[in-house]
Amino acid sequence: MLSEYAPIAALLVISVGMGILILFISRIFGPFRPTARKLAPYESGMEPFGPAIRRIPVKFYRVAVLFILFDIEVIFFLPWAVVFRDLGSYGLVTMGVFFFVLTVGFIYEWKVGGLEWE
Amino acid sequence: MFEVPSLSDLNVGATLPVTLLALGACVLLVVDLFIPRERKSITAWLTAIGIGVSLVFSLLSLSGAVEFGSGELAFSDMYRADRLTDTINVAALITALLGVMVAYDYLERTRLQRGEYYILLMFSAAGAMLMGAANDLVIVFIALELLSIPLYILSGFRRPQEASEESAMKYFLLGAFASGFLIYGIALIYGATGTTNLPEVWDAVAGVVAEDSAAKFLVMIGAGLVLAGLGFKVAAVPFHMWTPDVYQGAPTPVVAYMSVAAKIGGFAALVRVFGMGLSTFVLESGAPAAWQDTIWLVAVLTMLLGNVVAIVQSDLKRLLAYSTIAHAGYILIAVAAAGTAGLEDTAAQAVVIYLIAYAFTNAGAFAVITAMEKDDASNTSLDALRGLASRCPWLAAAMAVFMLSLTGIPLTAGFVGKWFVFKVALQADLVAAAVVGVLTSAVSAYYYLRVVWMMYFEEGEGDAATPPALAWAIGVAAVGTLVLGALPYLLSDMAREITLAFGG
Amino acid sequence: MFGPGESSTIIECTANTTCTTLHAIGTSLLLFIVLLTGFAYMTLWERRLIAWFQARIGPNRAGPAGLLQPVADGIKLIFKEDVTPRNAERVIFWLAPLIKMVPTILVVAVIPFGPPITVPWFDGKWYRMTQGLTDPNIGVLWILGITSIGIYGIVLAGWASNNKYAVLGGLRSSAQMISYELSMGLAVVVPVLLAGSMRVGDIINAQNNPPILGWYVFQNPLAAAILFIALLAEVNRAPFDMPEAEQELTAGYHTEYSGMKFALFYLAEYIGMITVSLIGAAFYLGGYHFIWVDRFPLLGPLVFAVKVFLLLSGMVWIRATLPRIRYDRLMMLGWKVMLPLAMAAVAWTAVAVFLAEQVGKELTAVFAIIALVIFFAGAQWWLSRAGRKTPLEPGAGRIETVSLSEQARGR
Repeated sequence: MLSEYAPIAALLVISVGMGILILFISRIFGPFRPTARKLAPYESGMEPFGPAIRRIPVKFYRVAVLFILFDIEVIFFLPWAVVFRDLGSYGLVTMGVFFFVLTVGFIYEWKVGGLEWE
Repeated sequence: MFEVPSLSDLNVGATLPVTLLALGACVLLVVDLFIPRERKSITAWLTAIGIGVSLVFSLLSLSGAVEFGSGELAFSDMYRADRLTDTINVAALITALLGVMVAYDYLERTRLQRGEYYILLMFSAAGAMLMGAANDLVIVFIALELLSIPLYILSGFRRPQEASEESAMKYFLLGAFASGFLIYGIALIYGATGTTNLPEVWDAVAGVVAEDSAAKFLVMIGAGLVLAGLGFKVAAVPFHMWTPDVYQGAPTPVVAYMSVAAKIGGFAALVRVFGMGLSTFVLESGAPAAWQDTIWLVAVLTMLLGNVVAIVQSDLKRLLAYSTIAHAGYILIAVAAAGTAGLEDTAAQAVVIYLIAYAFTNAGAFAVITAMEKDDASNTSLDALRGLASRCPWLAAAMAVFMLSLTGIPLTAGFVGKWFVFKVALQADLVAAAVVGVLTSAVSAYYYLRVVWMMYFEEGEGDAATPPALAWAIGVAAVGTLVLGALPYLLSDMAREITLAFGG
Repeated sequence: MFGPGESSTIIECTANTTCTTLHAIGTSLLLFIVLLTGFAYMTLWERRLIAWFQARIGPNRAGPAGLLQPVADGIKLIFKEDVTPRNAERVIFWLAPLIKMVPTILVVAVIPFGPPITVPWFDGKWYRMTQGLTDPNIGVLWILGITSIGIYGIVLAGWASNNKYAVLGGLRSSAQMISYELSMGLAVVVPVLLAGSMRVGDIINAQNNPPILGWYVFQNPLAAAILFIALLAEVNRAPFDMPEAEQELTAGYHTEYSGMKFALFYLAEYIGMITVSLIGAAFYLGGYHFIWVDRFPLLGPLVFAVKVFLLLSGMVWIRATLPRIRYDRLMMLGWKVMLPLAMAAVAWTAVAVFLAEQVGKELTAVFAIIALVIFFAGAQWWLSRAGRKTPLEPGAGRIETVSLSEQARGR
């Protein structure tokens, strides 16, 4: 069964190899004349001020945590979907309860404003 | 191919108390979104009704009047609905109800009134109930998380206040660690026995011991890690470090609920896992279980540390925090006694009796502190008690009852609890533990009775406000403590049929 | 026709080591070359098609009808200077394009392009192999997982660039991608429910039952629409390309990239488009099945290519037509519209499959018709709301628009 994945290993090796080759082509063929202006961070022509990475706004973390919650739900849906036909009403009802709990959470999240971006 | 279970195999009827509570909490979560901020008392009432309905079902089940569901096992052998479950359910629900009553006015006056408080309380209570009903190690873990995570959030409920946020962070970080220990222990036991179902573990451990294979060590280490994880929850030494800081920082109504519920859940799980699952873990035939020595040693250390350090505390909340550590020690003696063959049932009964007595007492004590506490969370030191009796006689009387019960003076529920615990300890030949228990109880009299002394015989400015819900809560707790103390057969009759044996 | 006779031995390719290795290496190379060529000519096709929409001619100078344009572009990029900004994290800066590109290519590995074929070999035996790299029975899981790894490349590229806008662009792009990944995951659960398997080949074959009407797009059009939209957002493609829009964030996460590293990002994006078209076609449009593919297995890749081409053209059409969606509206769409609809779609399919199992297979057709009616009615209603005046928020100032010509006349 492991031999099923051999082609993937081959593709991985080929794509990584070609990728590295492409990465270095520019270094080999292109000019290399660094000047201070070229190396400065690009800010639409202005002088850059302040450090590049300041505090990352917390809304990104919030999106990430919410994503994890619902992604786990999706992950649990997948094996259930595979055996769904054999499970009959038992599968539908038990997964329905799981789905209900997550939906309650989603409704709460929505109304409390957790899904607002700004 | 696996055999597809049918819906009736789930046996939801047997799980009605916890299912109704959890379902009620989910529905209330959505309903609460539509209740405006000024009318949050509706949420409090709905919570009380939800807990009440669940309590009615558990009492019906406890009294044997109605048989819900078919048989003892539910959810594919993961939930066991026996007598122990029913009593734990009742204990957890009474604690939750007291928690709601104590919290309502406090939230009003600190302007923290949000529906989420009550919903988190309901979820936490459901977790405690599930821990008592666990027939599978995985359920122990899930129930532990369900019990703990709402408590982490509740500890930090007084959000801008740093003490509250700090206590939440500490509780969360240490609790996450403890959960890690617990799940690691479960994994090792699974590795040694090949199953997580407690009756099957019981069987498999007997086999492992009989063959004397290397899996013995896996079980030993696994049991130790499970003890660590659950010991954190019940504040046993050396996993007690979080207790004083968290109890001091968290809002007092939260502590009133949390101090009891975490113990109910934790000890129920300890009884289930050690008394039911690992009771066959005997290394020499005829000797008690291998974990008995460890647990009674932990119990002794806990009692010693809790009682001795409490003497020097000047803040009431910290004092009671160390006192909860001490009481965890007393109950642990009973858990240790469950290691002796034949005494598992008696030990479980002793644990349950102590827990119910403790529920009334401790919730009541923290309710009194809530009454004393001012809006800015000050006025909880021992000095604030001075002269309380002259201004609030009933409050002082209630506090006196709670303190006497915590000491273990006869005619109070605390005495009944200690009686049964020490009795089963002597039956299990754990004389040293029992002796330490009695001695430390005597030591504890110092700081408990000092509270009574300061209220009655000292001059001071002690004052408290008791809005109606809080007054009811303190009243119920005090009456409960006295009644259970005066009529101990109430508790012993209820607990008499608790057994850890599994037929089904 | 040209096939194994009754006396020939047919061996499974996976049973023989030589066959496995040769098939692996050969198909990987072939796939890589096809993807690269596809990418190259996709850029040309996009520019020509957009030009056609905009009533102009696209690039047609380099070679006949502009067919050597990608070659010219490639040569130009090779000879560009490679600037690594100072204070950038060198290692991650160089690796990020690779981290974005490799997963995009790997996703294609689990999609079969045609039914299994039997190929003759020099030792007189016939070998039966998949057309395509491999077809593991967790294909769907592979797709979902590997797509998520590509997001790392974007975030790391932005973060390693030592440029405020790049960091923000990378974070916003990744937030967008993970938000739409939820709807994508749910929309992918629907074909798994219908087919009862996670193997992509099984899903494709299950759509062959009534040959064209069995396509899952007719069973659950809502899920198909959600998948296509979510896949658009996954590849940061218009109208969801805010994080890399030049007017907004100075090209977002690939601001500081030049030369072939930029080419790798560009490559990753277009190959991503091809990949997601493959996924969409496999899950909802019947994959490589059309009419005679069962009899002529070699027709499979051709049919698949046509479907992918149609989907790609659809993507270009959308890019030419729709304006960019503002970022907060994009997130709102992903969480408040797509996710609930995707959940509803999964619930619908679950109930439909359950009832069809209980009552009979004809019920599937009934459910499909109801789903199509609801979908089109709902789409009609929703689109009719476009252009209506939304009430102004309280306190919003009234902005008077004065046309310049009026202003001139008034003076």
